[in-house]
Amino acid sequence: MSDVSEVAGKPIPVPDAQSAGYWTAAAEHVLALARCGRCDRFTHPPGVVCPHCLSTDPAFVFVPVDGRGTVRSWTVVRDSFLPGFAADVPFVLVDVELDVQADLRLVGRLADGPDAPLHQGDRVVTVFDDLAPGVAVPAFALEAAS
Amino acid sequence: MTPRFSARSQVAIVGYAQSPIVRHAAVPLGALALDTALAAIADAGLTKDDIDGFTTGSLLPTSGSHASVDGVSIVTANWLAEQLGINPRFCAGFQGFGQIPGSVTMAVNALATGAADYVVLHRALHNPPKGRYHGNPMTHAPGAMQWTAPQGYFGPLTMIALPYNEYLQRYHASRDAMAAVLVEARANGSRIPWSYWHERPITAQDYLDARVIADPIGVLDCDIPVDGVAAFILTRADRARDLPNRPVYVAGYAMGSPRRPRLPVHWPLDDIMEAGFEVARRLEEASGLSLREVDVPQLYDGFSPFVYFWLEALGICPVGEAHRFVQDGGIRTDGGVPILSGGGALGNGRMHGVPQMLECYLQLAQRAGERQLPSASIGLACHSSPHFGGAVMYSAEPL
Repeated sequence: MSDVSEVAGKPIPVPDAQSAGYWTAAAEHVLALARCGRCDRFTHPPGVVCPHCLSTDPAFVFVPVDGRGTVRSWTVVRDSFLPGFAADVPFVLVDVELDVQADLRLVGRLADGPDAPLHQGDRVVTVFDDLAPGVAVPAFALEAAS
Repeated sequence: MTPRFSARSQVAIVGYAQSPIVRHAAVPLGALALDTALAAIADAGLTKDDIDGFTTGSLLPTSGSHASVDGVSIVTANWLAEQLGINPRFCAGFQGFGQIPGSVTMAVNALATGAADYVVLHRALHNPPKGRYHGNPMTHAPGAMQWTAPQGYFGPLTMIALPYNEYLQRYHASRDAMAAVLVEARANGSRIPWSYWHERPITAQDYLDARVIADPIGVLDCDIPVDGVAAFILTRADRARDLPNRPVYVAGYAMGSPRRPRLPVHWPLDDIMEAGFEVARRLEEASGLSLREVDVPQLYDGFSPFVYFWLEALGICPVGEAHRFVQDGGIRTDGGVPILSGGGALGNGRMHGVPQMLECYLQLAQRAGERQLPSASIGLACHSSPHFGGAVMYSAEPL
């Protein structure tokens, strides 16, 4: 994980009514995803409507989930358009389908570095990048290496 | 097959103008747009007073922190009408993805219904003079960006890199295969006088040597940001017959979009292809034509992997085979399917769907000069990703 002093200038997420529960849990290094209070299915990112049951009052609850998943794709970012990441390149972003629900995908940084061998189907676990005091963002690490 | 699109062959393109495509124009974008619109009106054999409709998609397609200023960094339909001193019957901007098919759709619908008689359809693209095109010094990520920017997942390069790598891994393809796409786009663009890449073809080795930005996307997989404006004049077929240029008729159009919401800039390969196959089906349904009848297919290539996705979505080659198809000469203008005969975005600059529409028009109107294809009867102009853009079919004769 990066040292907090090195990551100044990265975009800090601004929680809102739809996301506060996610960021509160992430700060504690817990992956909690929005589950619809009507149909019990997960959605990420949560919006104003549940995309599964179309409830306009989905009463999303942020439920801690098993952060394991499967790599569907990845990219090595060698030049970031966000200046706050200039010192971090090259870094890897992985596109992960979480075990908790089919087609529930998250994209995050891979903690194993730019040279880690990757394949479709590789197993990952959720870890966290600390961006600032009280602010952490979900990331991933290869399961075998963790 | 009876076309679903009841306005088939009722609307035609009757003239055009394309400004030089440059990194930074010597005049403000609005001035370039006004001059280009007037040139297109004259090309169609009309005068300004004939024009009673305007449409465009005015988006500045950057994730950078650049302001959208009408007349300076974007040019809306309303701005252009106002500056020309015209109070149009119809004036509207297209807000969705696929600005060119979207604005063609709006122009066709307005003309076919009699809401307007002569429509200027323009597209103005800008390369901001200061700062990186996609650079964004955001320190806080509110709204949709909170889900992606804090982990460095930002902008269109990572957007396209993920489904492209998904493709390469799934089909055991090498990124080197894309050299054939770049060589073809640039060879064709090098023959186009207004292209930014005029007289600047590249070799496969140039492609392989270019800087990689977000694996497997390198700098040459991206079209280059430019200043440039194109304008087209559309009218109804009955009026088109009296004008000097050979009309090119709109045979149908189709759009598609993914079924489910995703993270910002998250475009999984299956989303792209699922909607792409549906767009292909809708094109045939709308036009009453088979895609096999298309002899001037112009595929969108703003990022090179879109060429693979469109080739497979349209059935020009089997799924998973595009990387082999391009390497085997499948898209060579001499002997293959001429999907990049107009140079595309990679061979012209970031004109965002204009090169595809323009090449369909020029070929079907028999105005492509030394690039004129031996067979040019049915055109297809695609834009953006198969799951977010859309495509328009054209015919050289009324159907």
